[in-house]
Amino acid sequence: MPLLEIRDMSKTFPGTRALDRVDLDISAGEVHALVGQNGSGKSTLIKVLAGFYEPDPGTVVRVDGEEVELNDSAASRAAGFRFVHQDLALVDELSVVENLALGRGFQTGAMGRIRWREERRAAQAMLDSLGFDFDARKPLGSLAAAERTGVAIARAMWDWEDGGARILVLDEPTATLPMAEVETLFRTVRRVRERGLGVIYVSHRLDEVFSIGDRISILRDGKKVGTYKTSELDEDKLIALMVGGAVTRAAGEKAAPGGAPVLTVEGLCGTVLRGLSFEAKAGQVLGFAGLTGSGREELLPLIFGAGERLGTVEVEGRKVKAAKPQSAIDAGIALVPADRLHQGGVFDMSVSQNLTLTDPGRLTGPAKAILPGRERSEVRDWIGRLDVRPNSPDLPLAALSGGNQQKIVIAKWLRMSPRVLLLDEPTQGVDVGAKAMIHALVREAAAAGAAVVVASGDDEEICDICDHVYVLRDGEIVGELSQEQMSIDEVGRMQLAGRVHAGA
Amino acid sequence: MEIKNRPKVEDAPAAATSGSANATLPPSSGRHDVPLARRILAGIGPRRISAVYLFILFAVVFSLINPDTFLTSATFRLVFSEGVVTCLLALAFLIPLAANAYDLSIGNLMALSLGLCVWLNLHTGLPAAAAALLAILACIAAGAFSGFVVVKLRVNSFIATLGTSQILLALVLLLSGNSQLIAEFPDSYKKLGTDMVGGIPIVVFYLLGVSILLWFVLEHTPVGRYLFATGGNEQAARLTGVRTDRVVWGSLIASGAICGLAGVVYSMRTGIFSSTTGPGYLFPAVAAVFLGASQFQQRPNVWGTLIAYFALAFGIQGLALSSTSGAVWSQPLFEGVALIVAVSLASRPIVAKLREARADKDLEAIEPDAAPAKTPG
Repeated sequence: MPLLEIRDMSKTFPGTRALDRVDLDISAGEVHALVGQNGSGKSTLIKVLAGFYEPDPGTVVRVDGEEVELNDSAASRAAGFRFVHQDLALVDELSVVENLALGRGFQTGAMGRIRWREERRAAQAMLDSLGFDFDARKPLGSLAAAERTGVAIARAMWDWEDGGARILVLDEPTATLPMAEVETLFRTVRRVRERGLGVIYVSHRLDEVFSIGDRISILRDGKKVGTYKTSELDEDKLIALMVGGAVTRAAGEKAAPGGAPVLTVEGLCGTVLRGLSFEAKAGQVLGFAGLTGSGREELLPLIFGAGERLGTVEVEGRKVKAAKPQSAIDAGIALVPADRLHQGGVFDMSVSQNLTLTDPGRLTGPAKAILPGRERSEVRDWIGRLDVRPNSPDLPLAALSGGNQQKIVIAKWLRMSPRVLLLDEPTQGVDVGAKAMIHALVREAAAAGAAVVVASGDDEEICDICDHVYVLRDGEIVGELSQEQMSIDEVGRMQLAGRVHAGA
Repeated sequence: MEIKNRPKVEDAPAAATSGSANATLPPSSGRHDVPLARRILAGIGPRRISAVYLFILFAVVFSLINPDTFLTSATFRLVFSEGVVTCLLALAFLIPLAANAYDLSIGNLMALSLGLCVWLNLHTGLPAAAAALLAILACIAAGAFSGFVVVKLRVNSFIATLGTSQILLALVLLLSGNSQLIAEFPDSYKKLGTDMVGGIPIVVFYLLGVSILLWFVLEHTPVGRYLFATGGNEQAARLTGVRTDRVVWGSLIASGAICGLAGVVYSMRTGIFSSTTGPGYLFPAVAAVFLGASQFQQRPNVWGTLIAYFALAFGIQGLALSSTSGAVWSQPLFEGVALIVAVSLASRPIVAKLREARADKDLEAIEPDAAPAKTPG
């Protein structure tokens, strides 16, 4: 009898069926990998198990043969489910011992005194059993990334000996882990398996799935495609199962030929990126596709010089300094950041002031005073051109919808007529109408002679607006596609496999 | 569409009145075409300028209690001339605050400046004007030091300026030998602090001059934009090309300069220095800035700060006149209550703005002209 049986699990949201009658069995002492593309239903399934979403009626979940109701997170916990998410929910400033007690409470003695010695001993024993030998008194912040994940795992399975923790769900545990530490994590996961727990391992990285998984289940469009023993599959078969018969998009308009190289990046290194080199040409929209953790997220901020970097960035032969956004701006680079809330705009300033913040000096008259008339007419121009709603330049930026905020963030750069326009997840959290408008603006900027670089996790977006695409995986360019070769299917395939080259 | 572009209407009375005013006027587009009458009415609602109403309330109450003494030119002269130093310090506090940096050393910066003016007068043959200039330069240097600690050493401004403040206190104690110093300034220098021009204390004009300059810079120049952008979202400002480090550093230097000026004005008025002078000024100045931030614009601003200060000062003066024993306790009580009320009000504006904007949008969807009828946020 399997440890966990899921039968007919469905979850319907207004308009979409995120999970459609999924069956899944997890045995004790098994690492069961759960894979699927974005939107395949993996995270919905996990959220149902966590008691976060209520499943549709008819769903049956049994643990040890007994049916359980997963009404809320307490019920999920009582049923034996434990979760380690990408965000480990640990506190850097506290010691490992203290972190392990978070949410559980300390053992206390007389007058509420914490029994530190017992706590420490128990913590150390737990860490030992997972194969770690660091001192549990250390502050969490001083540990390596895999060790921190280890602490999160130790905390999740703390009460396994008393029969509390039964099923451990690891959700993208390696997404923020350096490559070198992945093996440490795997060792820990194997120890968990030896204890007889069932492990559900969710990951985008197929090589990991093959090295740690005993069995693999594939989800696609909310349905389970199948469950296979790892030995029955290879990477190509798995990708085929994941991608399925995804419709290849018909090629739209002709790709822009592209003029002279404007942006030259050489040997760019960040946390994940390893020596990336490429050129972006005037008049072309260049795309970077890649899964989360592939280096896609850090690429554009590094080029812009938001932080320190290795490697050189040049605009038309002019070097751009690292960690000095002003240097990039002077060279003609503009960055529309992915994190709009923290990096995109000043939300309690007005729409108008956000728009002109890139260069208010342009609006000044005598005594360096900003001329209200000049500012108003420029802002009105942009608001009209981008159809920003409501048409109220004096509202705080926070009052606009996500799509309209993004239009303002883009407009503040377009007014600078950038030579290089970098757009990071340009339509994240943006409604359909604004998305179309933003895509049109991107094409327009390229047509006007800028070199446009788009990094996006949305493969459809990449295929829609790019003339040329580079696919990133593990910090390197693993393939490129010209517009004729481009399809969502192909872009998705290359992100996963990373060795299927264009035209091959 | 036109209607919601008028200045914010947060208060029901003004909104209702402005709505009816609009009925007689043709529709217009854009904020600046909104009928003047409506803009004025919307601008004087009690939620936007509560300090003015407070001021009027004090004037009525205390003139009833003290019909002979309160509403006299003597009271006004006293409050205004006494208030100049504190107001200058409040303005000094306001500049870094706009960039979300706290300068807690304003009191001791002022003390340093005053102390230097007096000490140089007593111990060197320097002319008073040169001593004043040196004092201001010293305060600028102290501000630059705070800026260095904040920007280069990455110490939170709260802590950095608290530290600077104590270092300045040490300097001041060293200068004065912990005793009271009385300068012998020439009459021409003293007159700069005590003269009256057209019945108004001359020092009020200094404050007015600094206020106008600061208002201009904050509200009408790119520098002001950079300050508020840095204060609003430092990361976003930096990624938009604002040199946020320079902005913070510069704001602390400017703060030092104005504190220096405040010390000079103080020396012109009394010429007496004691090492306990500085710290007492921190609180009233900070209270004025925070209460002022809830006036007019929902962010720190020059005129709100001044109005807030004088409303409180008149209240304190009224209390002092009303009580027989001089009521020394009334000032801290007033300031304490005012600061708490001010900050609890100041934490609302963003929520209120959001609600207002949403209400506007919703109403627009139904009926564009319905916006003025909405209830206050």
